Amino acid sequence: MRIPKLLQAVLVLAGVYFGFIVVFDVILDAVIPSSLLVMYMFFVTAGVFMVFTYDEEGTRELVAPIKALVEDPSKRVWRNIVFVIVPLAAGAGTYVQMQPSFEAPLELRTIHPAPPSTAKIYGKRVNLLKLENPFRKLEKEDPEQFRELVEEGAAVYIENCQYCHGDKLDGNGPYAAGLNPTPLNFQDVGTIAQLQESYLFWRIATGGPGLPKEAAPWISSMPVWQNFLKEDEIWKTILFLYDYTGHSPRSWGHE
Amino acid sequence: MMAGAWLKKILPPVLAAGLLALSAGSVQSAPGDEEKGEAIYAKRCLQCHGEDGDGLGPAAERLNPPPRDFTFGLYKFKTTPFDEDLPNDGDLFRMVSDGMPGTAMPGWSDLLSEQDMWDVIAYIKIFAELEGAPETQLDTGAQVATSAESIAAGKTLFHADDRCSECHGAEGKGDAVKKLKNDNGERTWPRNLTKPWTFRASNDPKDIFTRISVGIPTTQMPSFADPKSKKKLSIEERWHVANYVASLAKTEKVVRPANTVIQAARVEGEIPASPNDPAWDKAPPSTFFMVPQIVGEERFFMAANDTISVRALFNGEKVAIHLEWDDRTKSIPGDDKAKSIADEELAEDAIAVQFPAVIPTGMEKPYFLMGDAAKPVNLWRWSSGTTEEPESIAILDAKGIDGQVTRDEQGGLAAKGSYKDGTWRVVMTRPLVTEAEDQDLQFEEGRFIPIAFFAWDGSNSEAGTRHAMTTWYWLLLKPSASARPIMAAIAVTLLLGAILIWWGRGARAQRREG
Repeated sequence: MRIPKLLQAVLVLAGVYFGFIVVFDVILDAVIPSSLLVMYMFFVTAGVFMVFTYDEEGTRELVAPIKALVEDPSKRVWRNIVFVIVPLAAGAGTYVQMQPSFEAPLELRTIHPAPPSTAKIYGKRVNLLKLENPFRKLEKEDPEQFRELVEEGAAVYIENCQYCHGDKLDGNGPYAAGLNPTPLNFQDVGTIAQLQESYLFWRIATGGPGLPKEAAPWISSMPVWQNFLKEDEIWKTILFLYDYTGHSPRSWGHE
Repeated sequence: MMAGAWLKKILPPVLAAGLLALSAGSVQSAPGDEEKGEAIYAKRCLQCHGEDGDGLGPAAERLNPPPRDFTFGLYKFKTTPFDEDLPNDGDLFRMVSDGMPGTAMPGWSDLLSEQDMWDVIAYIKIFAELEGAPETQLDTGAQVATSAESIAAGKTLFHADDRCSECHGAEGKGDAVKKLKNDNGERTWPRNLTKPWTFRASNDPKDIFTRISVGIPTTQMPSFADPKSKKKLSIEERWHVANYVASLAKTEKVVRPANTVIQAARVEGEIPASPNDPAWDKAPPSTFFMVPQIVGEERFFMAANDTISVRALFNGEKVAIHLEWDDRTKSIPGDDKAKSIADEELAEDAIAVQFPAVIPTGMEKPYFLMGDAAKPVNLWRWSSGTTEEPESIAILDAKGIDGQVTRDEQGGLAAKGSYKDGTWRVVMTRPLVTEAEDQDLQFEEGRFIPIAFFAWDGSNSEAGTRHAMTTWYWLLLKPSASARPIMAAIAVTLLLGAILIWWGRGARAQRREG
């Protein structure tokens, strides 16, 4: 049996709607904001409408059931039912929409704001475009010393960072649940694997208060590590972050 | 969006059941490889447990509880009888695989394979030369299913002869005044049994039964199966106590991460000024995790307070914040009993509520840790008092952790605190608007107002920058219901109905003509 066009269109829209919910809310566990969902569904509806009304015959087929419902004398009962239910549903929808919301205001977060070209770190103006990890070259030149530096970085990490970012570097340390935003997960391919070492150095050294203007909503709990750690301790910790997770820092050379 | 809720409920169990079915055939019992275990240990475990397995890794001093010292071969959460030296291999596996809530020990099952974990266990055993299998196993008898009768029986046994309440307190909050130490001389605290999420090995009655029967080796938690104990319990009695302890979970005060808004309801008439007024029970609590203050100088890693429950009410004139948090110790400087249980320095217990000095218009809030130079905050700080001074409330204007000024005038801010059975309750009340407009937050209905909390346990050497904290949450004074939604709904219904009728008539008329 052939599915009527109108039903097809409704099924496609319903499928997309629940698809969004399944993918975001259930699988990714990242609840999709309702305003965003409304916007997506608007575009999807417009797209579906364009496809289904591509030619005149399609358009006619699509609107035929609606036309029949409104005009056909034999469909009087159905018409009366629909004409009562639709306005009532719209009224109920309006009522629900206009209820004051007690949900927290949405705070869109820029996780990796673009770095400034220079930043003041340890009292010096540093060019972040040229800044490199002074120990990175030892990875090839002197693997033994490099290993020692990684281990020193590990000690700095365990003493200072694991409370939030976790023993496993997965952003799930013992204090993580008490912080908003939650600490970053370095195991994830979307964090340090996407960044240069100079970027990490800047973010670690200047912490939450060092976030640039566009890094809304500026509420990171990341401490300002230049107040607590020495410069070389930060660089060693960065070596450890990449070594432990198996990620490689991004560099200009490879791009 | 809500349509996702049922899917969310149903899908994970379905997926989990599927995974379980897949993995059921692969339970591993092969012995671990010590050499492979050593390599894994060096990468994953050494930083906390130390190269020699003595628990003296670099972070040892900042971890509470400290990392396990493997050289004695003693394990706190074992399932073999109290007089059996060896733990079961499964006990070690469970700690490695699942980790221990409330400690720095994570569960490793997502990063390490089952074989990896067995290898590491084989290596860990070398530190204490643990060999062979335990000779005896714990007799668990027949589990007594939980029931009102069993819980009542357990409650009686819990309190009889001060059996459990001696340390765990009358309501199980671990607040009995005793100074406990582990075998290593480190301070330990009896578990707050109302917070099941802090149980290292779950609050399933089976696990609780095991703890009661075995005790917690290396700590002062004894075995109640030991025939020599004056407080010995039979197997059946231990199941009753386990069921009672499991029933103590304060589920209404569990942290729900999605709940970031404290909703203050409007009340007619007076706001209850006493923290124990039953009217407060009607306001739903929002509970937040607190973490040690590890962000500003001087950092602090050992905070005693870990959650705070907040309620709020307001009327036409005033707003009141009700704060409730479990604290094992009532810290009153000058009091001998308080001093006997406190760490070296005894200070007052204190709590502070933080608001921005003005409600932010955009997204940008003051720095969560006591504000910043551009955006100051108000701190309402209550202190529990000493034997000489009564409890007190102060307003601080803060521009950072090291930039606080205590005001001389309280501007109508008042507070009342009460301590009972391991719980502090404090109510702070302030007029919605004050005269010091340029200094004080002016409350407005329907606005989302950032709010944060700081807590000090004076018996845990907490004072100054040594405290527990939260990041920003929200306070909302719920606006009173208005007639607008219902009016709009009626208007939309009528309008749409009219349009449809007009359309239908027009179309049918056209059809007849055509």
